[in-house]
Order: sequence, then structure tokens, then C-alpha cells
Amino acid sequence: MANLLWLQGGACSGNTMSFLNAEEPSACDLVTDFGINVLWQPSLGLELGDDVKAILQKCISGEIQLDIFVFEGTVIDAPNGTGEWNRFCGRPMKEWVKELTAAAQFVVAIGDCATWGGIPATAPNPSDSKGLQFLKREKGGALGANFTSKAGLPVINIPGCPAHPDWVTQILVAVATGRAGDLTLDEFQRPKTFFSSFTQTGCTRNMHFAYKVSSTAFGQRKGCLFYDLGCRGPMTHSPCNRILWNRVSSKTRAGMPCLGCTEPEFPFFDLAPGTVFKTQTVMGVPKDLPEGVDKKGYVKLTAAAKGAAPAWAEEDIFVV
Amino acid sequence: MDSRVEGLSVAAEAEMYRKRYGTTPAEADHSTLIRMIEDLLNEGLETQVDPFPETDREFSAILDELRGLPADALREKLVISGWLLKPHGPDEMRCQECMYFLVHRRWCDLPELNLPAEPEWWCRLWRI
Repeated sequence: MANLLWLQGGACSGNTMSFLNAEEPSACDLVTDFGINVLWQPSLGLELGDDVKAILQKCISGEIQLDIFVFEGTVIDAPNGTGEWNRFCGRPMKEWVKELTAAAQFVVAIGDCATWGGIPATAPNPSDSKGLQFLKREKGGALGANFTSKAGLPVINIPGCPAHPDWVTQILVAVATGRAGDLTLDEFQRPKTFFSSFTQTGCTRNMHFAYKVSSTAFGQRKGCLFYDLGCRGPMTHSPCNRILWNRVSSKTRAGMPCLGCTEPEFPFFDLAPGTVFKTQTVMGVPKDLPEGVDKKGYVKLTAAAKGAAPAWAEEDIFVV
Repeated sequence: MDSRVEGLSVAAEAEMYRKRYGTTPAEADHSTLIRMIEDLLNEGLETQVDPFPETDREFSAILDELRGLPADALREKLVISGWLLKPHGPDEMRCQECMYFLVHRRWCDLPELNLPAEPEWWCRLWRI
């Protein structure tokens, strides 16, 4: 049996909502099939007030073995480094986080806020928010760059706004069943099994990407969302089009541009007016090109693809 | 048709197209629209080629200008978008490579323009 404790800092509960929708495995499967004992979770825990505090204190003292500490939301430092803006069980949450992460065998950060600060840490970051081990791309965060949990791993980052429920439960199962050693993490401590491919991998609009046919308005079923509507699918590491949402769809399949929410810079361009849902360009060329493609190659590829595009690529082929 | 159209209301401009082509831009077929565009530019219509919108904010400002125009305001669309009947710039930018250009339909799919186009044409809303 593995004891799991889940706390929430500066966040919207979106990752808890996502987690509760997990299917493979489900949140219930974690308990019944994989031996995870949920000590407390903000939406599931029955204890209130001092009873919660007692659980946390027992985890810190070692009276209860804390196998997995899950954190959702940012670690809030404001005001003036005190963390008083986010108090929990009688003290700043940042203090609980420090002591619980030191006591835990494994630490898992769920969602963008806990991984690298997400939306709360967007400039000017009034709450002085940080992720557990990153602030945007910069390593360090609330726990410091050299933090490792008792099991010797850094924080396992499962980003997303929210993280896909199955990414969460599958990683928790791997950790709880003693297979954490099989996890390989990338430079941002994301499990490579989920974050090596791109959002674009498996996108149903790939043929429109290849032939350089653009969607120019929301709701169009033809065209790629990258060229005009700000889709970050070709630059974003996530399996959103491989492990589908609700098992049936994804943002891009539904005509919604990928916002790049599994990358440390999310939300991109600090949400400056005109940057959301609009491909940012310099002299007509996208600022951010598909990973590994340079400007010269992109221009050449576009010319060739436009010249070779078949007529059907300009039509809506998804006939109802 | 040249600078005489300056200052015409959209209704008067539409009437002028009707007299010359038997239809208005809003109702014209593809080939008639092509002819209207070519005639306007070949007869001296000066379009606003510069400045090229270097940033998205500048690009959006041009779109804002275009968005309110009725479909018959062909001349205004061409002027504001900086339309040319030839490639432009040191890189010879042209519709053929622009992402809004539908190669087979010979059409500019940018909703604010929504006009026929030829591969060797260009406008300052060019994006790749």
C-alpha cells in the first residue's frame, strides 16, 4: 500500500477536476486495484480543520509514512516572501510544502501552476508564485534546483492546464507500484513517455498542415490552426492527440488551437493583447516555427507544399 | 475607372460597377471579380503598399479597417490591403506562397478580403 497526500496551493482546482475524470485507470481504481491509500485530498478528504493538520503533522514526523506527495497549484511567496497570502491549517502553505516534500518518498507536481507557475506566475506575478522546482524555464522554484525526494528523484512534473487525467493516474500507479525507476524524465522533469511527441502528433489536421492550407476562422473544419489562429501544436510536447480527452477528442480536433499548456512558458507572451489565438509573426513569417525547422527551410517547404497541394486540401472533407 | 472614384459612396461605387460590368463586386462571379481588380489597378489605382505590417498589432489594425467594409467596397479593400498585380519586395513575395491563398480555387481565403487572387499577385497582408 502507498500513502498519498494531495494538497493545493495557488490554483483553480482544475487538476483535481481532471483527476476525478480519469478512466484508465480511474481515481477509484487507484484505491481498489493499485493499493493507493489517499490520506487526504482537497475534494475527497473527509477530515476538516485540526484533523487535517494532524494528518500533515504525522506525515512530517514519520508517524505516517508519506509515499507520494502530490501538489497542485503554485507555491505562493507573497507578501514579502512570507507566503501569508496562502495560509492552510494555521500556517503558510509554503511551509507545509517544504516539510512535506522533505518527508515524502516521491513528489509529484500536477498541472502548470505546480510545475512552473502557470497563469498565476504570469508577469507581473503579484502573488510571487513559483512552481515546485521551476519558475517558467528557470530551474529552482520553491524547492531549489537540487531538491530530490527521499527516493532520490526530483519532482516529477506532469504539466497541463489541466493535466490530462490519465497522465496523472498512470504516473501515480507507476510510482505506487514500485516502477518509478522506469520513468525517464526530460529536461523539465516531465515523464518522457507522455512528453516526447508533439500535440500535433496524431492531429486530424495534419494533412492541412502539410499542404499549407490554413483555417482562417474558428469553426472551420478545413485547414490547419497553426498558420493563423495561433495553434502551438507543432512546438508543444504532449500526447493530446494520442491519449484523447474524454477518450474521444482533443482541442485541435474540435477546432480549438493548442495553447501550448504543457510548456514552461505557458501562457505565452504573458497574455499580451493580440497574442492569444493569433499566430505571432515577424514580417509575415511565424515567430515560433515547428520545432527543428528554420526560417529558410520553412519558406522553401511552404513554396513546395503550396505547389503540390491537391484540390481536396482546400475543401472541408469532414462531410456530415 | 481611376481617381474619379475617390470620394464615391459605396452605393455610388456599386452603381458604377453595375454600369460597367453589369454586376457589383458582391454579386460578381470569379472571372468578373478578377477583371474588376485588374481594371482598377491597371487604370492607376494607387494602393497602400507601405508600411508592411511588421507586427501582429499592425496586422490586426489593417484587419480592423477592412472588417467593416461591405462586399461592394472593392476599391477600398484593394487600397487598404496594398494590393499589387505583381510580386513585391526583395524576396519577391507573392500570393502563391501566402497561407491565405487557395491555389486551386485561386482565392484569397482571408475572411476580411475574401477575393479572387492570382499566384503572382501580392498584398501587404501576406503571411507564410
